[in-house]
Amino acid sequence: MSSNPASSCANVHKDFHGALSYGLDFIEKSYGFDGLCSFLSVMAPAVYQPLIEDLRVRGLVALAEHWQKVFALEAGDYELQADEDVLTLTVRRCPAIDHMQEHGYAIAEHFCEHTRVVNEAVCRAAGYRAEVVYDQAAGSCVQRFWKDAS
Amino acid sequence: MISCTEFIWVYNELFKFLEARGGEAKVIAFWQGISENFLGNLREYVEADGLKGMYRYWSHTLGEEGGRHVMTLYDDSFIIDMHECPSAKLIHESGRVAPYPKYCEHCRWLYPPLLRELGFDADMDIIDCEKGRCRLTVRAHRESAQHAAGE
Repeated sequence: MSSNPASSCANVHKDFHGALSYGLDFIEKSYGFDGLCSFLSVMAPAVYQPLIEDLRVRGLVALAEHWQKVFALEAGDYELQADEDVLTLTVRRCPAIDHMQEHGYAIAEHFCEHTRVVNEAVCRAAGYRAEVVYDQAAGSCVQRFWKDAS
Repeated sequence: MISCTEFIWVYNELFKFLEARGGEAKVIAFWQGISENFLGNLREYVEADGLKGMYRYWSHTLGEEGGRHVMTLYDDSFIIDMHECPSAKLIHESGRVAPYPKYCEHCRWLYPPLLRELGFDADMDIIDCEKGRCRLTVRAHRESAQHAAGE
């Protein structure tokens, strides 16, 4: 018998990346790419409401701290750069892609699109904008964030 | 990237999205798909080591996920008593998203069907979803248990 009476760990269970990939693929096969984007666009403002509020109040520093926390927990290889009014996140080795490739999980054809749609939804809700250029096979991307001047 | 630490909320929202688009049957189809396509690791552990393989599999996954639970391994059965499921707790206590009412049902569709396919009796009793309490009971068939015990 074994027990786990109390845990204060960060609950970093990387297999969830594989489950997310399966979920994204399931949605796309059921409802098409538009359905996938629709889900992500509706989901993001709810799940990331605290981040949206933080970004609205404190600006890009809130987003920088978010990424620092995420990539520290997931042990990702990344770099953050703040130039004037633009925050740039360069991911050299994505923890999600890395884990799925290492364990042989199927990776959804448009897996990395979730980063684009979620980033855009979060930023739009907070008055910011985002863009991403990614190489899914390589597990790398460059994400940029800036305040929406319009 | 959606962090794996944020996945549970996304999972909850995914269930709601699928039910809104395709009804409960679509949600169940998704859970069945996860069971059939994404639990290869559990299948390998159980095919190799039976009940002991289950113990090893959940020692790893529940160890990473956290929460409060007790696992019991007998010669002929394996039981997880979940006292505080980290996933259900996050959904019901964080206040970040409206909980999918049948959130805990996913475990009932993910694990017992696979374990039955591998030759075990399996029951998932959801005791209290909001409190994150449930029990998974797996029993080896009599012949398998006798073989494992060297009888």
